[in-house]
Amino acid sequence: MGVTKEDVESAIAAALSPSHLVVTDTSGGCGASYEIEVVSEKFEGKRLLERHRLVNTALAPHMAEIHAVSIKKALTPAQAQPQPEPAADKPQA
Amino acid sequence: MAMAMSASAPAAASLLPPFPARPRSVSFAALPPSRAAAGLRLGLVGARAGARSVRCLAAAAGGGGAMRETLDKVVGAHKVVLFMKGTKDFPQCGFSHTVVQILRSLDVPFETLDVLANEALRQGLKEYSSWPTFPQLYIDGEFFGGCDITVEAYKSGELQETLEKAMCS
Repeated sequence: MGVTKEDVESAIAAALSPSHLVVTDTSGGCGASYEIEVVSEKFEGKRLLERHRLVNTALAPHMAEIHAVSIKKALTPAQAQPQPEPAADKPQA
Repeated sequence: MAMAMSASAPAAASLLPPFPARPRSVSFAALPPSRAAAGLRLGLVGARAGARSVRCLAAAAGGGGAMRETLDKVVGAHKVVLFMKGTKDFPQCGFSHTVVQILRSLDVPFETLDVLANEALRQGLKEYSSWPTFPQLYIDGEFFGGCDITVEAYKSGELQETLEKAMCS
């Protein structure tokens, strides 16, 4: 059996105690491809490469069965603060 | 596998157009032509290391220092080396394709090595880079990142900066 979305979530949750975590199965059901968004204090002061390494390490036990992981976001809580929204789209005249 | 990836290839391609075309182009004046020519001749493994490296890769299949040494030479032989699935002209994976497209758009000379053609290389690299997936981009002998990181860095301009620095060094 492949790796489930829950497996991926719990592995990341355990390693990074994220304040925000979204795992999306992009494999179309076979469980081999995931997109990940994660916000964690553990990313503080780390470059993107190091952040991705943390996520990769958390997933290491599952990697053999996962074909593709795409880390869409790896942010610190500060970075994840709601960005100033672009002013509500007003239809251009 | 091919199916899973073919789905992501168009997605990756559609990512590219919105990226801002950076007006500042990378300068390659510092790259001696002889070096560029040597790069073109490079089929599988790093320049002078050539034939010897292939043997080393075979010998080092079990892991260990020989593989590390060989890879040191390979990533050091060129400013930009991309370990990917497939070749520059026929990427076998959407993520590899994306990174090739980015490097091409920046007009930077780069070497690619097909990890699908060499299982020892593929396994050795995972360990060498402490990175589980491909593609893997090396700039100036240093691991820069995989596809996601390269895309991010391209959007932020950090990739262009790093390449520029590497080309001038």
